[in-house]
Amino acid sequence: MANELEQKLKLVRDVNRITGQEIIQQLFHQVLELHGDRINHDDPALFSGIALFENQPVTILSVDRGTSLTERIEKNGGAVRASGYRKALRSVELAEKFNRPVISFLNMPGADASLESENEGQSLMIAKMIAKMGQLKVPNLAVFIGEGHSGGALAFANSNRIVMFENGLFSVASPEAMSAILRKETVSEVVPMTAGKLQKMGLVDQIIKEDQDVISQVNTAIKTWLDDFNNLSSNELIKQRTEKFAHVLAYWDKMD
Amino acid sequence: MSEMPEQALWSSCKYCGRHVHTEQWGLFLRCPFCGFPKRLTVEQRIEMTFDPDSFQKIDLNIKSKDQLHFKKYADKLTKAQQKTKHDEAITIGTAKIGNHLVAAGIMDNQFMVGTLNTTVGEGIRQIMEAALEQRLPLVLFVTSGGARMQEGIFSLLQMNTILAVQERLLDAGILNINILTDPTMGGASASFAFNSDYVLAEDHAQIGFSGKRVIEQTSGEQLPDEFQSAEYLLEHGQLDDVIQREKLKDVLQQLLDLHTAGDQNG
Repeated sequence: MANELEQKLKLVRDVNRITGQEIIQQLFHQVLELHGDRINHDDPALFSGIALFENQPVTILSVDRGTSLTERIEKNGGAVRASGYRKALRSVELAEKFNRPVISFLNMPGADASLESENEGQSLMIAKMIAKMGQLKVPNLAVFIGEGHSGGALAFANSNRIVMFENGLFSVASPEAMSAILRKETVSEVVPMTAGKLQKMGLVDQIIKEDQDVISQVNTAIKTWLDDFNNLSSNELIKQRTEKFAHVLAYWDKMD
Repeated sequence: MSEMPEQALWSSCKYCGRHVHTEQWGLFLRCPFCGFPKRLTVEQRIEMTFDPDSFQKIDLNIKSKDQLHFKKYADKLTKAQQKTKHDEAITIGTAKIGNHLVAAGIMDNQFMVGTLNTTVGEGIRQIMEAALEQRLPLVLFVTSGGARMQEGIFSLLQMNTILAVQERLLDAGILNINILTDPTMGGASASFAFNSDYVLAEDHAQIGFSGKRVIEQTSGEQLPDEFQSAEYLLEHGQLDDVIQREKLKDVLQQLLDLHTAGDQNG
């Protein structure tokens, strides 16, 4: 069990892991990146942009750890800073105004832990992003390509639909952070965080098999999501999210 | 043995380590040596904040369980319940502050450091729903070490589900005042704590997203001594004000007064 988790962590953290950027290049066109938080920073850990999916304009957010050492340093290993959440928030507000569905691609440890992010209101920015994603009047979709933990990942995952690669992970904290907080070695095995377990509780809606066909599976997942949610009113979208997460919380009582 | 007092007369200050006699702590439980306020029990907070005998407790909808069979969690829950005489790290109800009826939530840092789990999350949603339904201002005393690891992803999902109710509350024009007390971290600070209309903090409270130890380890940065103190956050523009607990009741009353002044139906 612990080995299974270690294996998954190794896979999702590998430099050759497929990134959001690669998927964006293959499935979207007319991609236009939008930089900056409009205050003082442009966090490289968070990509934000507009693109066409087939003929529909969509907003894309993407976090990955970087594919080379230089990129990994620049992208802070995928730990989004307070300014990154401010950039993301700005981007989804525009998406809402211009009626563009929002897709997030994630492979990140969690939110950035640093003096600068704390000084710039990391807590508030994450809270605002989680709240906004929940109340968003356009459809949203989160695709966990790798892992994503804590409030830092929830800021994107608070969506109508969650799709996860079969080795993906989503938890309250990364396994390392969890052990550090509880001052114990292996605590993670009883905590549900794998795609299969999260699907069972209704949090993950669909699992992407990691075979040759990954891109076309993601393509179909996006299409299906748009078909299912494009025609819902803003009230219906908000209600669907509320019900989805209430349903997951209700699973707590059914566990054993 | 019969003359042994029920409660210890001496307790040490968490900040300066000095031993302080019950009488020296005074009415507001402030250390006479270093000036730091002592962490309060829920009962002390209620007594200090609300009009005498005005607090009416609302029972929590659910009880905590060890559903993941997490090592030692069941024991920890029992011990915390015995220590605090509360079922969980939150107490909710209605109360009066200078004759303003408010919905109130008091988190409890003596119960597993006020960590956010299924029951605490439900309690917070419950008091928010009550404030909405009865159109009462919501006064929330926040204290939390963050999400409770022992309930995994279920603890994490309290953040977005509380925020969904809080957004409805704020949209409905209900006043929400949060008072951040020592400590307010992680899953609490990155969700409902900072999302209220007004964010006040008690002096010297530790407030932040990541713990100091984590920041030092991951970034290797030297952190200033006053980092993540309420006073430091005020300097960085993240709080409406830092209030000493001696003045807190008056400030809350003033804020409530200012929101009802000129109100024809008030």
